[in-house]
Amino acid sequence: MGTARILIVDDELIVRESLGGWLERDGHEVDTAQSGEEALEKMKDTRFDILLVDIKMEGMSGLDLLKAVKETDPDVAVVMITAYGSISTAIEAMKNGAYEYLLKPFDPNELGVLIEKIIEHQAQALETQFLREQYKERSRFESMIGQSRALQEIFSLIEDIAPTESTVLITGETGTGKGLAAKAIHSKSPRHEGPFVVVNCGAFPEHLLESELFGYQKGAFTDAKTTKKGRLELAHGGTLFLDEIGEISMRMQIDLLRVLEDRVFYRLGGTQPIEADFRVIAATNKNLEKAIKEGSFREDFYYRLNVISFSMPPLRDHKEDIPLLAEHFLHRFARETNKPVDQISREAMDEMMLYEWPGNVRELENAIERAVVVCKGRKIMPKDLPIFQPEYAALPSDKSLKEVERAHLISVLNENEWNIAKSAKVLGIDRSTLYNKIKRHNISRPS
Amino acid sequence: MNARPKNTILVSPVGDLDLDSEFLHELCDKISEIFGCECEIMPLLKEIDFARDPVRDQHHSTLLLERLSALAPHRVLKVLAITTVDLFIPVLTYVYGEAQLGGKSSIISTYRLQETHSAKVTPATYQCRILKEAIHELGHTFGLRHCPNESCIMHYCRKIQDVDRKSTELCRYCKVLLSDEMKRLASE
Ligand SMILES: [Zn+2]
Ligand SMILES: [Zn+2]
Repeated sequence: MGTARILIVDDELIVRESLGGWLERDGHEVDTAQSGEEALEKMKDTRFDILLVDIKMEGMSGLDLLKAVKETDPDVAVVMITAYGSISTAIEAMKNGAYEYLLKPFDPNELGVLIEKIIEHQAQALETQFLREQYKERSRFESMIGQSRALQEIFSLIEDIAPTESTVLITGETGTGKGLAAKAIHSKSPRHEGPFVVVNCGAFPEHLLESELFGYQKGAFTDAKTTKKGRLELAHGGTLFLDEIGEISMRMQIDLLRVLEDRVFYRLGGTQPIEADFRVIAATNKNLEKAIKEGSFREDFYYRLNVISFSMPPLRDHKEDIPLLAEHFLHRFARETNKPVDQISREAMDEMMLYEWPGNVRELENAIERAVVVCKGRKIMPKDLPIFQPEYAALPSDKSLKEVERAHLISVLNENEWNIAKSAKVLGIDRSTLYNKIKRHNISRPS
Repeated sequence: MNARPKNTILVSPVGDLDLDSEFLHELCDKISEIFGCECEIMPLLKEIDFARDPVRDQHHSTLLLERLSALAPHRVLKVLAITTVDLFIPVLTYVYGEAQLGGKSSIISTYRLQETHSAKVTPATYQCRILKEAIHELGHTFGLRHCPNESCIMHYCRKIQDVDRKSTELCRYCKVLLSDEMKRLASE
């Protein structure tokens, strides 16, 4: 059983409330809108997995809403709710990409089964994508580089906390190098000869994360043909790095809290206690205090993690490190691609210093990688940088950060023919972040 | 104002039930044990025609919950109403019961609990189902949602026979979540 983020669109208050209540008790995140217009407004800030839409509504019809949604976000499953009188419209909706229609009143099981099916489909799609991307992922920038005061402070902090056994929570925007900081703590700690095991909590669908962390005993479930060690076990004697900790479910939080408290755990289906001999470092780009207030993150788990915490600065706050970082990436990619590129032009460097780098160091790394590939001579020129594609270059310099980001997103999306996975990679952010940004900036695909 | 914390769960029969008082007391004991509260039997609603849909010949449970919350005495923490009439919410054909998630009131109907494949079940099975549905709906009022663990009382059963398979207990996750909620209530 998975849970979904569901938007109910219906002009009757009693339907919104009672159906919403039913779905909430079933564990889903539910929001409601009383019109198609309100639904589209809500979808700008929030990504929903499923829309339940009444076909007959005042103002924008359910069918029009379906068409609008399918245009901007074809991955959302739209389920139409219809009365006997409007079956022909429901069939029309199916032709327009509706996932299914339900004839009201419908059996609660019918609704439950349908939602489960949708969640399974979406999880499968995500899983395939995840496996594909995990395969492509290679280890990127290997060490932390920077001479700025901001980074020097981080370095000395790392020196101080590395020798302790305390749990560490690293916060900061995506691409700021939280993983590198974790790695640095590990390599300076007494556990440096042990393994450094990374778990990207946000990348795993929930059911995979559990077996990935805890491992399983042969026969624990149908697919468990052999016994498999989980990452907790693999981290024995070393450090366990839980990246994107803000993404894990309540249940996983309860389980991990217990491991941290009891210092033992069990494989799925296992009865033998296994000693938890690892130090935990967690990282997130989320505001966990806010998540606690909203009830999606456990306070007790937060305090367990947040024994020592620090924040990685965004690249725009230590721009003086850009030249050093850029040089470093340049030499690495030139070596990797065997291209005789060994300089960055003054103009290109100036442009990089002006840019705000919403994707931080990772975006800079990706920009240099691309520049090395497209560069014709020995010197990187402004035109080689993805951030200075025509649309972008036309921007006056007094634009707000928000506008700059929007323009940048558009240019990257266009450049990658709206391939979300590719664009996200270029931007150095994950897909869901990119989706959210597209929504927030109200960017739509040019037809 | 009121120094005494609310600590009572009301089991509130609606109209006449086909249940003896011995069973109702057993139900109360189980509720006390699981939720750590006092439990009393007290009717609140007699007349429920206001919630009846004449076309469907069923009662709209959401309206009943609203009324129950309004009628419950101040000292009452949660209400569990039990009725023999068939319940529905708009767009769904029926519900076994309904609860205000994290709210005050819940209700269960015995209407669909007596049969399996149109054969009557034994009185013991029938009562056991009522007990499980009651705890399940009350669990919702404490903010618990459906649980994937099939033996947990908060598991949502598609088929009534599956109810017979689940236990009368909360799984360890749901226990943790319940104790969180209890701590939160105590600090209010
Ligand atoms: Zn339920
Ligand atoms: Zn449970």
